[in-house]
Amino acid sequence: MKTPALALTPRAVNRVRFAAILGVLGPGLVSGFADNDAGGISTYSVAGVRFGYDLLWVLLASQIVLFFTQEVGARLGLATGQGLAGLVREKYGVRWAAFMMSTMLVANVGSIIAEFAGCSAALGLVFGWPNWASALVAAIVVVLLLTRGNYSKVQYLFVAVGICVSTAYFISALLARPDWGQAANSLVIPHLESNAGYWVAVVATVGTTITPWGQAFIQSYVADKRLGPEDLVGERLDVGLGALLTNLIAAFIVVACAATLWSTGATSATDVATIARGLEHLAGPFTTVLFAVGLLAASFLGLGVVPLTSAYAACEAFGWETGVDWRWREAPAFYGLMIFFIVSAALFVVVVPYSGLVQVMFTAQVVNCLLLPFVLVFVMRLSADKELMGPLVSGRFLLTIGWLGTALLVVLSLTLVATSFMGF
Amino acid sequence: MLYLSQAIGRPVRDQHGESIGTVADLIVAIGDRYPPVTGIVVKTNGREIFLHWGSVTSLDAGGAILGTSAIDISKFQQRPNEIRLKLDLMDRQIVDIDGRKVVRVNDLRLDEVEGSLHLVAVDVGPSGLLRRLGIEGPWRTIARGLHRDVPERYIDWEDVDPVERTIASVKLRVPHKGLAELHPADLATIIDQLSRSDRVGVIVSLDDEAAADAIGEMEPETQVDILEDLEPARAADILEEMDPDEAADLVADLSDESREEILGLMEKDEAEEVQELMTYGEETAGGIMTTEFVAVPATLTAAQTIDRLRELEPTAETIYYVYVTDADNRLVGVLSLRDLIVAKPSTVISTFMYDEPVAVRTDASQNEVTGVVARYNLLAVPVVDAEGRLEGIVTVDDAIDTLLPQPSKRFLPRLFGRSGSAER
Repeated sequence: MKTPALALTPRAVNRVRFAAILGVLGPGLVSGFADNDAGGISTYSVAGVRFGYDLLWVLLASQIVLFFTQEVGARLGLATGQGLAGLVREKYGVRWAAFMMSTMLVANVGSIIAEFAGCSAALGLVFGWPNWASALVAAIVVVLLLTRGNYSKVQYLFVAVGICVSTAYFISALLARPDWGQAANSLVIPHLESNAGYWVAVVATVGTTITPWGQAFIQSYVADKRLGPEDLVGERLDVGLGALLTNLIAAFIVVACAATLWSTGATSATDVATIARGLEHLAGPFTTVLFAVGLLAASFLGLGVVPLTSAYAACEAFGWETGVDWRWREAPAFYGLMIFFIVSAALFVVVVPYSGLVQVMFTAQVVNCLLLPFVLVFVMRLSADKELMGPLVSGRFLLTIGWLGTALLVVLSLTLVATSFMGF
Repeated sequence: MLYLSQAIGRPVRDQHGESIGTVADLIVAIGDRYPPVTGIVVKTNGREIFLHWGSVTSLDAGGAILGTSAIDISKFQQRPNEIRLKLDLMDRQIVDIDGRKVVRVNDLRLDEVEGSLHLVAVDVGPSGLLRRLGIEGPWRTIARGLHRDVPERYIDWEDVDPVERTIASVKLRVPHKGLAELHPADLATIIDQLSRSDRVGVIVSLDDEAAADAIGEMEPETQVDILEDLEPARAADILEEMDPDEAADLVADLSDESREEILGLMEKDEAEEVQELMTYGEETAGGIMTTEFVAVPATLTAAQTIDRLRELEPTAETIYYVYVTDADNRLVGVLSLRDLIVAKPSTVISTFMYDEPVAVRTDASQNEVTGVVARYNLLAVPVVDAEGRLEGIVTVDDAIDTLLPQPSKRFLPRLFGRSGSAER
């Protein structure tokens, strides 16, 4: 196979300029921010409430793994100019692609439901809106944004929203007056426990950070931005920054919850709304509002990214890459899927009682965990393909780390799936 | 009629009915309208052997039957124009020339044409996808129950252009014959959907003029990407073929190194022209003018002037006016093509030229130029410097560009439009 890089001049590969790096920024950042969606924030807050500072080291570890998985995804996009679904279909056949896509679609419906639930919880906290009103408003805003918006501008909006989330949780953490010394300690020193519930929380924390759709997202984004091998340095920087910010936010959330609810012994809360309300007594009403605003922004970000990525990847895998215009008539599959995701998820949130929602979100996470090993194995194998990757092929160092990370995640995923079936 | 997917994996038997392996792939020779099958790849005992089509008696959904009992495993040489259908085409992206879009190959359709098997069409429809997934039968049963059709869609092989990456496993210069015959605007639309390396592949296959025309129709950021990815010498050749005003706009957007390198490789006077045009503000007459025009001294006769036109072969937009200049290159008059043709051949042009020509200064605003063109109903307006020297002309098509609203932004151009060309 002819490597794309051969078509590029060597001069282009050596070119590293500041302006070029700025132009590259985006995929990793947006992907990182979007990893902290509604599901992420509830997982982190519950982790902080239940286990205090103990899970911080997991965040550091998953940040490192996230960096390497996203880096491989970005590199695949740079080298091939194709999304993950398309590559899997070309290299491993239509059945694998169909399996991957259908599983991802199921899991993503679950994630989208979680985003809507997040919106409802946040709007309920701040304005006292009922569920159905929040879901309706969120659905309308997202549909308008995705069908009317110009995507090259929407990406800036995403980054802005991401920064808003970061700031909200950073201030929340400050207001909670945490024990920073203990936090720093827990960040670097792994805390091990023989308690099964603790390990489920560990897996959930990693699982919400490293996701199959996140892998598809970064690759499509890089490919669609038409970045090429010469953008490698900038893209690595972007991915690194994205991974760092993602986990900083996660750490602030954990710290905020640990410093307030956990340290006062209120460790029973299992959902974000309860936690945010709990913060009110301990750190003031402002913290609750901040927490809710962060949650709302994060849910919107997820709503903007997850349906779009799913629809896009499905179209790529099944060859529905219709015209360049992406108008309704020309891309019925694309828009049909997206509307289906949003409408069905919004309806679900309105109709199904809260306990049902929790069950669905948890199931979605299990499905994601089942899929993640396949996705990562595909990604690692593709990235080691010299013909496909050309000069961007994974070297021994990256490959070793990549496979180690994959092995670790496979074990964690299987643990979660096993525990969920055994009913922890 | 046979679909490739129906033959793959089927048994291969010798003339006595002994099974010797399974069908792994078919080989066709491309170049003809419908590429004939020239060989079969048989998988036997875990390895692949290539057989000439001559040794195959029949091939259908039941498998292949060979005409010989002894297989001739003399090394099959894959000729440069031969491709493997499954390996090189199945699941790959191809360009549907008629539909002007990039689609994915679901299956390949083979048919008997004049007694031999040929590749006739590419299946890009849902039925092909279902067949590949092995659920076409049940699906059709369900669809029939619901009184629905399973849509089928084929593209005649003649209307297909395999993009570079598709059949890159053989070192084959893809002729892109079908693409080269498209209107530049359509070609630009298709190229916009390809990955970066494929874009370069298509451009490289075109002649300089066709490449220049197609690039001229693209979005500025795509132009820059392509030019920077091309060999600098080739980029210079293509730029020379573009209108100098277009070339100047494009060169201005290149990175500093590329610009210097490419300009250095262009013909000296063409490069100077481009550089001169680049010195004018983008929104001024100088910025949108072209330096291709016909200027003659006032002493010529009508016949001599027409001879000069024949000699220069000006392009369509610039042939309608002949400008008359003095020894200092100052604009003193203008002639229309009509004036020249109706005048007696021996008349000296100064006697019938229009000697108060309308002109704009190089620093005139774009709106001013448009106003002049509209007020005087001109096909082109001359542009002069402060001393009245003729520097270029603005043709009506470039002048009215400003009247149009910004090219209506595409609805959702890609999943992630890029952030803009200014940074790169």
